[in-house]
Amino acid sequence: MIERFQFLAPDFHSKEPKELALLSIISQSFFQPFSIEDNLLVILTALTSGSGVGFNRAMLFRTADDKLKGEAWLGPRSAEEAKSIWDVLSTPGIGYIEIIEHNRWLLTRQADSLSQIVKPLVYSLAQDNLTIPATSAARKEMLLVRNARQEPQIDPKFLEVIDVEEFLCVPLFVRGEEVMGLIILDNAYTLRPIEPKDVKLASLCGLMAGNYMYATLLHNRMIEMERLAALGEMAMFITHQLRNPLTAIGGFTDQLLNSPSDEAKKRRNLEIIRKEIRRLEDVVDRLARFLKVDLRKMVPFDLPSVLQGAIQGSALKMKSEEIEIRVNFEENLPRILGDATYVGEAFRNLIVNALEASSRGGCVSIQGRREDQNWVVVSVHDNGKGMLPAVREKLFSSFFSTKDKGLGLGLLYVKRVMESCGGRIEVDSEAGRGTTFQLHFKSAEEGRTDA
Amino acid sequence: MKKLLIVEDEDDLCLLYKEELSREGYAVTTAQNAEQGLEALNRERFDLIITDIRMPGRDGVEFITQIMGLRKDIPIIINTAYQSYKEDFMTWAADAYIVKSSSLQELKSKIREIIDR
Repeated sequence: MIERFQFLAPDFHSKEPKELALLSIISQSFFQPFSIEDNLLVILTALTSGSGVGFNRAMLFRTADDKLKGEAWLGPRSAEEAKSIWDVLSTPGIGYIEIIEHNRWLLTRQADSLSQIVKPLVYSLAQDNLTIPATSAARKEMLLVRNARQEPQIDPKFLEVIDVEEFLCVPLFVRGEEVMGLIILDNAYTLRPIEPKDVKLASLCGLMAGNYMYATLLHNRMIEMERLAALGEMAMFITHQLRNPLTAIGGFTDQLLNSPSDEAKKRRNLEIIRKEIRRLEDVVDRLARFLKVDLRKMVPFDLPSVLQGAIQGSALKMKSEEIEIRVNFEENLPRILGDATYVGEAFRNLIVNALEASSRGGCVSIQGRREDQNWVVVSVHDNGKGMLPAVREKLFSSFFSTKDKGLGLGLLYVKRVMESCGGRIEVDSEAGRGTTFQLHFKSAEEGRTDA
Repeated sequence: MKKLLIVEDEDDLCLLYKEELSREGYAVTTAQNAEQGLEALNRERFDLIITDIRMPGRDGVEFITQIMGLRKDIPIIINTAYQSYKEDFMTWAADAYIVKSSSLQELKSKIREIIDR
């Protein structure tokens, strides 16, 4: 017999050992698409919640440019508040979503209190005479301080802020790498002594947080590198697109300068020059349009009317090639979420592509249907020349074009528009049989309208 | 008269090169794509090939490999808007690599240099 289990149990139970509950909260939150800040807060919560380790307060420092900076401090401000918060967090069945919501609420409420108090705490890790808590981060050592007020190695400013006798410092790092942060835990309200098993659990959390932060750091570095590579590619492509017209303009201008008397040639050359200048302008326009896509204006709009505008925009091409456009939209199609201007432009790109792929007398069909409660699908189909698999693979990469004078921005633009309104684009194509693009839009009626 | 084959897919540039290089005293044949270029090479003998490398959407490298395979001992100048492939092609035994610019001076003197040597 084979049983299947899901990685993400929807909640954890109070009967389970708290070590398990703790690991469960943390690892589940890492699975979610939350920001690193949110996930670090989940760790702090797990350390402070009654169903987790049960420390009273958790303070977070993160390193940046060789400095350890106070960032957040989670915990109640008084013993009474502590009880009410722990009651919430100890509720059986509470999950990471609730924890994150709770944390956000806590932080906004505490914005003027706890976290603000730790923000001025900044320690340079480069200097020699370090004090606690910086020592713990610099040496990557967990330190448990028992009688804080009798320890001269503790930074007096820090002691004034934390104001307890006993606290635990847990550095966040991965082997062989710079320290990424520090968590400081205490039991300011219960005054319960920190026991070896608490230290063990806290160290486990520290290891997980360190690995998580490191993975996030690597991920961000990778994205940045990809972005730079794409930028380089773009610069190369644009120089290419500009050089050809410039060569023509320069060459024909020189001809004019060298033989100013040839009237017929003068006219011809000027016309070529004019045409090439228009081409340069077109490259610049298209690039500007492409760079402008920054759509956060998510407004519900009516798909058919936007599409109609896009079709009219490409009517000239349609007439000259005698290509028919058939539009078929389901009745009562829900409105969709997005920026109508950009979506319209995206449609225009796809329709122009479809018309260009079609041979004279061909047909482009556009259909809109409701896929389920949340999604509306629009497909743009042509029975034109289609694509080879090799072309299809590269379709959405930047600056790929099968057209002689293509900028390779059109489909990338469509993809960016779709991504920015939370949708996606799919393509199905076969050489000689035609191509279908499917655009999946979020329905405004069932989806969120406040995004 | 020395015979030049120019492979260039831009209409305007084909016209420009044809006029300007004919004026320099060469017999100029233009081809607008790989196939035409290969046809011309099979049909007649040239003293120099000047070709673009077309990257986006087509395998320019494959095309140029074919031309280089066919040209045997004919010198070749790569004349292109792409700056970044210079090293690749020069080590690959092209005789010159010229980045297109608004002046044809460099192209003309390079042709002269190769033809005269």
